[in-house]
Amino acid sequence: MTRFEYSDDYISDKEILIAVPSIMIGVGILSVPKDLAEQTIGSDGWLPLAAGGVIVIAMTWLVARLAAKFPQQSFLAYSSKITSRPAGIAFTVLLSIQGIMLTAYETRIIANVADQYLFDRTPVEVVALAFLLVVVYAVSGSRTGLFRLNMMFLPIILAISLIVMVFTTGWFEPGNLLPVMRTDAAGFWNAMNQSTFSYIGFGILLFYTALVKNPKNVPWKASAGASIAVFLYILFYLICIGVFGNLVTANLQYPTVELAKEVKIPGGFFERFESLFFVIWIMAIFNTTTMAMDAAVFALNSIFKKDRKMPIIFLLAPLAYLMGMIPEDINEVSAFGTFTSYYGAAITVSITILLYMIAKLRGVKAND
Amino acid sequence: MRFSSFFRSKHKNNENTHEFPVDLKKSLDKNLDTLKQMLENPNDLMIRVFSLGQTERRCAIVYIDGLADRMEINTNVMKNLQLFAYKENLPAGAGKLLQEVEKELVSVGDVTTGHDLDDAANGLLYGSTLVYLDGVDQVLIIGMKGWDTRAISEPISESLIRGPREGFTENYRTNTTMIRRHIRDPNLRFKTYDIGRRSKKKLSVAYIEGIIHPDLIKEIDRRVKSIDLDDAPESGFIEEWIEDSFLSPFPQLINTERPDKVSTALLQGKAGIILDGTPFALIAPATLGGTLQSPEDYYERWMIGSFLRLLRYFASFLAMFLPALYIALVSYHQGMIPSQLAFSIAATREGVPFPAFIEAIMMGMTMELLREAGARLPTTIGNTIGIVGGLVIGEAAVQAGIVSPVMVIVVALTAIASFSIPAYSVAISFRLLRFAFMMAAAILGLYGIVLIYIMINIHIVNLKSIGVPYSAPFSPTFFRDWKDLVLRAPITMRPRRPSFLRTDDSKSANKGDSSQ
Repeated sequence: MTRFEYSDDYISDKEILIAVPSIMIGVGILSVPKDLAEQTIGSDGWLPLAAGGVIVIAMTWLVARLAAKFPQQSFLAYSSKITSRPAGIAFTVLLSIQGIMLTAYETRIIANVADQYLFDRTPVEVVALAFLLVVVYAVSGSRTGLFRLNMMFLPIILAISLIVMVFTTGWFEPGNLLPVMRTDAAGFWNAMNQSTFSYIGFGILLFYTALVKNPKNVPWKASAGASIAVFLYILFYLICIGVFGNLVTANLQYPTVELAKEVKIPGGFFERFESLFFVIWIMAIFNTTTMAMDAAVFALNSIFKKDRKMPIIFLLAPLAYLMGMIPEDINEVSAFGTFTSYYGAAITVSITILLYMIAKLRGVKAND
Repeated sequence: MRFSSFFRSKHKNNENTHEFPVDLKKSLDKNLDTLKQMLENPNDLMIRVFSLGQTERRCAIVYIDGLADRMEINTNVMKNLQLFAYKENLPAGAGKLLQEVEKELVSVGDVTTGHDLDDAANGLLYGSTLVYLDGVDQVLIIGMKGWDTRAISEPISESLIRGPREGFTENYRTNTTMIRRHIRDPNLRFKTYDIGRRSKKKLSVAYIEGIIHPDLIKEIDRRVKSIDLDDAPESGFIEEWIEDSFLSPFPQLINTERPDKVSTALLQGKAGIILDGTPFALIAPATLGGTLQSPEDYYERWMIGSFLRLLRYFASFLAMFLPALYIALVSYHQGMIPSQLAFSIAATREGVPFPAFIEAIMMGMTMELLREAGARLPTTIGNTIGIVGGLVIGEAAVQAGIVSPVMVIVVALTAIASFSIPAYSVAISFRLLRFAFMMAAAILGLYGIVLIYIMINIHIVNLKSIGVPYSAPFSPTFFRDWKDLVLRAPITMRPRRPSFLRTDDSKSANKGDSSQ
């Protein structure tokens, strides 16, 4: 007799496969071609993008591997087991700060892009608030529900990406990709930094692997998921360079959205495709934001013995909102973004490696 | 008997007005008096007292006129008893005699022996006939219902071009029979309950043992048992009582008038709920994908079935989004409309005194009014409403410059789209959501629409129908079930039952291969 195992509080590794690209594909992809084009010559940016991707896929595997070693145990439980409870709590808080910052950043960006492409008179604060309220509604629902949401939206996101790519092939000029390999080492290094840090979000696996009943395959599924995101990043980058050329790409704020502007639907019953593209991309950003916020809530909730989900949500949401509204102009916003991704990557990577090493040294096993 | 509590509570309530014993007495007159007293001797209570031939023992036949089959009583019960009375060697003792009578009456219908007033009254009010014998504290209950019912006719709310023409009726037994006629499987089960403290209606949960997941039937059983109502006049009461979330705009159980739809659902591993007194059966669990399916998808060839389904998905998109998109595009994102079209829309909107949102709400409400009025009127007058709506309001409103012609097109298209959704309960919730979209579009344009869309998705993924996720099999994903979701794969390519229902016996067709 098989039970309704999908109805309870567990998820399958299939859903991890969907969740990883869902969190990685967000606002980063909208501006990454610009950041890379600034640092590199021609289409050289794909190389650091791919190299950064490989690093991230490897890190995803490592993070998932660590979490999968302790099946159905929360991050706090196994990190406390490896180190000590105060250290575990400290790690949890540090990681959840990343979630809050990411929530704030995504909310701010969505408001900024909406301001630029959808309506210019509505205040940024209102747009951001409306978005954040929907995120709060999602997070206060069931956790498995969020994974199901990822599955509902990811196909739509991939489909709109495909449409943009297919319908811009007419403007694609292979000559724009040249010259090849002219970037100097410093440029590559900077670009590498930019690209690696744009793929943030794999840290959620530290928490969510606990929800998978049988996490043996999670590392592989998560890496496969991460490679979907990396592949999409590279494709978008190359098409942006091919269509606009390096120089133009470097001077566009959101080259990927501009790319959608070039889309001409045959028959001409629709103009300004970029508005539609962005509207649909809101679902991608929404997925990233809810996962980030829920990971933070999930992490902080594990510290308390009782379930304090709702108070935590009502505490974090205004915090994230205020944090997102602090940056005054576009430069401050992107500085905030850079800081968020650096912080996130640094925290996730260092905590994972630290826990790994201590676990190895002390020989901690799941059943100890 | 489950409902003995009813009588006790009635005693308690009416302690001061009525006082009668709940157990049967040996004296026939006393028993009859009690019965009369309890029902306050209505004029449809038929009591016929006669003596049993040579034994001289008094005997009574009691039934309610109209509920029991009078012809049967006359030709079978009365006649048999008269003939029986002239037999030789009848036992003298009253108890023995009753047993003999019971043996005699087996040929008439199913006979049970009642021991107290509850048994007697329950049987009587269900349409059975009571046979009392003087000197025994027992009563014979002969099941012989016979009342007038509507004949089986074509289901009005779900008409098909191709498919069986019979629909459920108000008669519970006819309905269960129709399902039995579709599925001649010995594992077909009807778990029967009595619903309604006062109405005591039969309710059956139909399922096929060995296909349905046992947890599912356990959960339905638990919920149906919890129903505590005076009366359930329609299966809507049951639906509302046992559904998972009463805050949801989506129906979490599907209602249908079609026996073929119910039996198909049973074979997929779902359960059907049939209530006495209504032609609408319920199917549980429901999923979002399932609400957009019609039995006809399976009756037509697969390409046509798939096309019709795609059309319905498109229709539900239009029904929910079209007016909202119009509002958003006209009031916020004029740039997204191609310039030619934008000019012509602007030209037609010239002189319209209202913003697009007010215009859309006005026309939308008019459309809903027309629909509601059309549904309430008899068919002959209903046509008039169409003319009034189409010509007078549509044409005149445009002529008067209150609404633009484009708006009329949008509203008309939306209405047509919402009528093409096969389940009425789903269509009406889509129409409801349309107003939410319109409001969001008026406040935040396309951004508002997408936020509401996301919110509806959040709601759907959190919604369950008898414990089964409403969004299955989209998400949680069961790729194998996608063959019968948006498209309808040929029958030979779908040898399995829906896997999201976790059926015990997963195979529904066999193409000759023995591998499982």
